[in-house]
Amino acid sequence: MDSVEPLVAQPILEVGEFYELLTAQLESAYGRRHPCWVRGEVAKVYEKSHLYVDLVDAGSSSSDSKRPVLNAHCWASQWNPLKRKLAADGVSLQPGMIVNFFGYVDVYAPQGRIGFTVTEIDVAGLLGDVARRRQELIARLLSEGLLDANKKVALSPVPLRVGLVASPQTEGYSDFTGQLLNSGFGFAIVLVKTAVQGEAAPAQIAQAIATLDAHGVDVICLVRGGGSKGDLASFDDERVARAIAASGTPVFTGIGHTGDESIADLVAHTRAITPTKLGEEIARLVANWFATNVRSPALKLLGAAEALLDEATEYLGERRRTMIFAVRDRLRAEQRHLASTQQRLLMQSRHLLATATQMLAGNRQLLGAYDPKKRLAQGWSIVSAENGAVVRSLATIKVGDQVRVTLSDGSFASTVNEKNGV
Amino acid sequence: MSDTGNWNEAANELNSIVASFDEGEVSVDELFAKLERATTIIESLEARLETTKARVEELAPRIARVADDE
Repeated sequence: MDSVEPLVAQPILEVGEFYELLTAQLESAYGRRHPCWVRGEVAKVYEKSHLYVDLVDAGSSSSDSKRPVLNAHCWASQWNPLKRKLAADGVSLQPGMIVNFFGYVDVYAPQGRIGFTVTEIDVAGLLGDVARRRQELIARLLSEGLLDANKKVALSPVPLRVGLVASPQTEGYSDFTGQLLNSGFGFAIVLVKTAVQGEAAPAQIAQAIATLDAHGVDVICLVRGGGSKGDLASFDDERVARAIAASGTPVFTGIGHTGDESIADLVAHTRAITPTKLGEEIARLVANWFATNVRSPALKLLGAAEALLDEATEYLGERRRTMIFAVRDRLRAEQRHLASTQQRLLMQSRHLLATATQMLAGNRQLLGAYDPKKRLAQGWSIVSAENGAVVRSLATIKVGDQVRVTLSDGSFASTVNEKNGV
Repeated sequence: MSDTGNWNEAANELNSIVASFDEGEVSVDELFAKLERATTIIESLEARLETTKARVEELAPRIARVADDE
């Protein structure tokens, strides 16, 4: 039998003793009383009350089986306030992030692991990283032509079919739908419920946009009320941005408060500063269409009808007056003509009468010269036969006839005693 | 439609009657007949106008309701 001699003259430690020794050594250098900062890239992150993060050297390849990994953890008592602080600034730990952890070494003997207990996180550094990642995403979207892709999608002139991506229990949902329902227009809202914050939200939102795009609506509205930057982080997610850019339907956003501008806002067709303002904008679009295509023509129609009726009324009134005056003028003209003719006839008659009177006077004067009385007064007499006829010839009487001789102052009877011809 | 024809036909006939008066073409013998015809046309057009006005008055509030609907 061979005997085995110890290689060195050192005490042989039990496993537990070894860990006690190791822990004591490490804690003396990097323990609770000697915390330090460690920078690394988040390789894995897991949260279950406590936070668990696998930290690796930035830029190292995951295929490198020998790359160092630091199993960091942050106990709930430390993590909860830190988490709130990060959330308020819109930061959630994600794989790929470069973080600075402040803490101390932690040896967990039951699993033979050396870990790192985190007591502080460099938020300022994280914010810078978030901003950098955000700018990188914007630059990528710009270079791929996706930043303006949805802005080029034609908007329906009257977007009454509204696809809504929102969480129904939120104020943002109520504010937005309230504007549509109170607008008086018949909006048809197709709701796809999604989470609007948290890890599941970006994928759900992106899927909802694609679903509504395929469903066929006039506009897709992405709505989320106000909150911390962390609450709104889903709308900075690349999946959401790409879903918006890929949509063949205009995507409108109403996210957060005034001043919040997410990447979804940048990529969207139209951005409103709040859900309420977005509802107002959609209602305004329809109202404008209604005013242009319904209200204005209706007013013009009313005006045209009234003008036409006024014109017809005026026309008939004018025709009636013209007719009355025309008839009156015509009758007056006839009266004047008749009066003129009558006057002319009267004058002509008077002229004729005067001429006749004058002619008669001349004749009378001429006849006066032949008046028998004047002849009788001059000594002439008129012999009449018994029948009263004037005796003009001896042939009309014979001897013995009774004749009457008329003188200027009377007559006497005479008997024809003889006839002597001339 | 009355024997005066449609609105334009009636208005044209009325205009021609008025024109014949303006041009002194109407004899006294024709005057009464033309005046009677013109009166018939005017009354017919006025009746149609009143009917149309009444119908428009019925429709106007409905159109106005659309126009005022904000």
